[in-house]
Amino acid sequence: MKTYLMWAGMVLGGACLLILLWPREASSPEEDRALAEGRTIITYWDRHTGHEYDARVDLIEEFNRSQNEVYVRTLAIGPRIEKLLTAISGGAPPDICSMESSILASLGSQGCFTPLEDFMSSEPSLNESRFFPHVWKMVSFDGHVWAVPTTTDSTCLLWNKALFRRAGLDPERPPRTMKELDEFAAKLTIKEGARIKQIGFLPWLPWDETTGWGMIFGGTWYDEEKDRVVCGTDPHIIESLRWQQQYAYNPDRKDNKPYSIDPRWVSAAQGGGFGAYQSASNPFYTGMIAMIREGEWQVEFIRKYAPDLDWGVAALPQPEGAPPVAYSPNAVVDAIPKGSRNIEAAKAFLRWFYSPRANGGPSPASDYCFAIQNVPPRPEEARQERFIGHPKFSVFVNEVLTKPAEPFPVIPAAQFLMEEMERQRGRVTAFEATPEEAAMEIEKNTNAQLDRIRMLQGRRPQ
Amino acid sequence: MATSEYRHPFRVHWAAHLSLLLASALFILPFLWMLSTSLKPESRIFQKAGEAPQWIPSTDVRTVKGHNVVTYTGEDPALKGKSGVDFKTLDNEQHVLVIDGKEVKAWTEEFEIRQRIGFHWENYTQAFERMDFIQNLRNTLFICLTVVLGTVISSSLVAYSFSRIEWPGRDVLFVAVLATMMIPYEVTLIPLFVLYRNIGWTGTFLPLIVPAFFGVPFYIFLLRQFFMGIPQDLSAAARIDGCNEFAIFWRIILPLSKPALATTALFQFLFEWGDFLNPLIFLQDDRQYTLAIALQQFQSMHESAWGPLMAMSTVITIPVIVLFFLAQRTFIQGITMTGLKG
Amino acid sequence: MTRRERRNLVNGLLFASPYIVGFLAFTLYPLAATVYYSFCHYNVVTPPVWAGLDNYREMFALSGDNLFWKSLWNTLYFTVFSVPLGLALAIGLALLLNQKVFGISAYRTIFFLPSIVPLVASSVLWLWVLDPRSGLINSTLAQFGLPQPGWIADEYWSKPSLVLMSLWGVGGAMVIFLAGLADVPETLYEVAELDGAGRFRKFWNVTLPMLTPTILFNLVMGLIGAFQYFTQVFVMTAGRGTPNDTTMFYALYLYKMAFNFLRMGYASAMACVLFLIILAATLAVLISSKKWVHYYGD
Repeated sequence: MKTYLMWAGMVLGGACLLILLWPREASSPEEDRALAEGRTIITYWDRHTGHEYDARVDLIEEFNRSQNEVYVRTLAIGPRIEKLLTAISGGAPPDICSMESSILASLGSQGCFTPLEDFMSSEPSLNESRFFPHVWKMVSFDGHVWAVPTTTDSTCLLWNKALFRRAGLDPERPPRTMKELDEFAAKLTIKEGARIKQIGFLPWLPWDETTGWGMIFGGTWYDEEKDRVVCGTDPHIIESLRWQQQYAYNPDRKDNKPYSIDPRWVSAAQGGGFGAYQSASNPFYTGMIAMIREGEWQVEFIRKYAPDLDWGVAALPQPEGAPPVAYSPNAVVDAIPKGSRNIEAAKAFLRWFYSPRANGGPSPASDYCFAIQNVPPRPEEARQERFIGHPKFSVFVNEVLTKPAEPFPVIPAAQFLMEEMERQRGRVTAFEATPEEAAMEIEKNTNAQLDRIRMLQGRRPQ
Repeated sequence: MATSEYRHPFRVHWAAHLSLLLASALFILPFLWMLSTSLKPESRIFQKAGEAPQWIPSTDVRTVKGHNVVTYTGEDPALKGKSGVDFKTLDNEQHVLVIDGKEVKAWTEEFEIRQRIGFHWENYTQAFERMDFIQNLRNTLFICLTVVLGTVISSSLVAYSFSRIEWPGRDVLFVAVLATMMIPYEVTLIPLFVLYRNIGWTGTFLPLIVPAFFGVPFYIFLLRQFFMGIPQDLSAAARIDGCNEFAIFWRIILPLSKPALATTALFQFLFEWGDFLNPLIFLQDDRQYTLAIALQQFQSMHESAWGPLMAMSTVITIPVIVLFFLAQRTFIQGITMTGLKG
Repeated sequence: MTRRERRNLVNGLLFASPYIVGFLAFTLYPLAATVYYSFCHYNVVTPPVWAGLDNYREMFALSGDNLFWKSLWNTLYFTVFSVPLGLALAIGLALLLNQKVFGISAYRTIFFLPSIVPLVASSVLWLWVLDPRSGLINSTLAQFGLPQPGWIADEYWSKPSLVLMSLWGVGGAMVIFLAGLADVPETLYEVAELDGAGRFRKFWNVTLPMLTPTILFNLVMGLIGAFQYFTQVFVMTAGRGTPNDTTMFYALYLYKMAFNFLRMGYASAMACVLFLIILAATLAVLISSKKWVHYYGD
């Protein structure tokens, strides 16, 4: 009898608990009201999480309040690409999604998105002429415009003025030529026997930047006409790899430079962009490394993590004779996936987000760039006081405003190319491959990947 | 009452205690680190190169006027070891320190800011402000409890078939059960999503819950191993007494397998509690999100809010630790066979 | 077929029916689709195109996919070291923790902790522990003047580092061994004692044989898990398999093929090959288990 009572009690208790936890209809009061008003409800999936997502949600709520036709429901999906891919592939995509330009390049060429050229040319704020040409390149390929650019970036040379002073260098004068960069790096590198106390400069710290260095040296990675990666025999690219190689210390060789560093000392924690990168112990903030190549987000980071750091920022030096170029590799973009059931409502939202506000104020998109401290993709907005008025942020913005900028090659094999470059650069700096071999490997492997993709697109027979 | 000496052939020895103590220090490390990080200010979370790791959260000692209290560690013999106040900064790298009433100039690395123990609870407040904790917890608990229920019932039934009944094709089917675990999820994810979408289950909890009611291979295998160890005579005797298979399963096998069933329930609970990918793929609304997904709100593209992230990780870990602490007793008391020796 | 046999077949199928139904409803289609995709060019977002054996040919071509072979080698290396070491450690801990001593509940909880702490927390910790310059291990080694390997950042130490990390997660296997130890009948020890067995003999003749069913379980699950080792290395190397592809494991490479390079067909072919490898290993273990696994019930 007792056991039966116990069992009955357990079953009853469990049932009560489950009823208590039973999921309610997933909706919010705002959304219920929107439904009652007969609005079209659309979904927006943000690749961002954290404070970047918050900034977006604030603006989307403003949109939801500003009119009574469309209600945007947001979801932070984060960096795991499986979420978006399964949804698109499974025919249940969101109405709008944000993503990096490299992902747009690989998905767009498969026709995953709704072409936007008609919509954008009819919108005064979204005309091609409004955008930086290199940003436009990132969203328009294969005969269509696939997305609206939201933010872009820019890279510069950052230096630690205190370390310059201590090395007897003028703290206000950054290196202006490649020769000076190497010289300064030598002066700023401090070794104690086998231990490295201070790194002057390392071309691949904190990120592998093989693409960017190739372009800075005047090289071409990709030929749009031929739709081919062409770096294999490009003398500038081979030169840039050779230059990077000099920064790697090789115990078996005699021609090590004073600034050469054993690549293995650059640990996973500091090179991988994980943990310590986003903290007060970032090696640049702690004075472990004197000069780095970094993006505009560092302005905000340094303010937050190393407010006492005395640092300067300047354009990256270029080799003599190389045409001036700014390297602006990526953009974050908004696209409407194929299969969206509310294309018109999605466009209405995009129109609002990217146009100046009704009261003449700046566009929500530029507010978003400001909130997350990224470079706006439209020169007119990049010239706003809040971007060029800041003594340091302006250096980054001026790079893309004053020089022809180059994006990461816009090819469907962008992800592959990115990793292949890092891999081959790693072989060069580990002295496992010569710069010539590495450049050729990148070309060969990426073109094979490209061929495969184009073959599936039916554009080139195998 | 059996003594531990029987069950464990080695006598409890001081050496065993010592090795347990040392080894447990290594294993408790992640938790302590998480706990301590959750109580640190953002600037102290990662120690600088060459600094010893800080296990006890600290806070700067400040004077009334807000200056830091410092200790001189530089070369000047007259000042070495003396303490004073960090007064103002010159040229962004030299500091003016007031030591023994005198103004002294020193480089940043020549002095040390004095610290005392101090916990930064604001990480916890921020963490709770950031997410809809109650809603996320409800979702997580609902999924966990239903999945555990389904898993234990269905997996024990299937395991019974694989261990206690002789039937043709049994071993082939058993290998097939194992085989389904050998295909990486990456390739089955998309067809699975298509399948659930076609029956209208995406955007609901059903894809996360229903499959558990049809047997989970990992636990089928686990329970089979335990059921195999129960003497066949028991079943045979029960059959002679006129019991049917279900009665044998329910009255004999299940009561004898409490440790294994507890392990199943516990593991499945833990797995669902921490599962990130399945909810991410199949849920379509942040009001359905579980705690594990909500954690990613503390990481953005370029940076992470480590303090609140670790605070929330601690909050969602502690209930599980308590649960495990309570549940593990089941493994000690599971003296299943002692009644059977006669 | 006798009546008894028929009844057994019916009962067996009835008890197994939840799985059979579930398999037909939820598992069969994804598995069949994977096999089909492995013979296709499939970029995830447009319909698959039949390609015959192209994917397999590319994979096995001698001059073809170096990274495929490298990832297979890395995975074998990891499996060969992490599975046996993990088993031995888990058994050892379970034996130590199967005592009635003060504080044993706390010890058990502590050894299980690494399996509970969220991955974000433990991977940051490990990156710091293994940091070549200022990490916990190397700063300790430096104090004793010992050589300091580059651990996760070093080509030669990256895989041993990950094996080390995996050992730290043996809590799960340990708990299963504990449950197995709880099932060892006291009578067996009593009988052994009457025969005058010492501690070691009792362990060798009673405890170990009685643990073999759980050893089989942990061995098979260990193999299946190690061959598909993914999450930790994905987080620790930001999905790149650095340095120099020495941590490019099979499942990581497969993931990149599927979702970064959008070659789901090739990834599916890789999955099928991996499936055959794991199946062969598992069958070998299962067949040999008839010799070394003792079920008390038999």
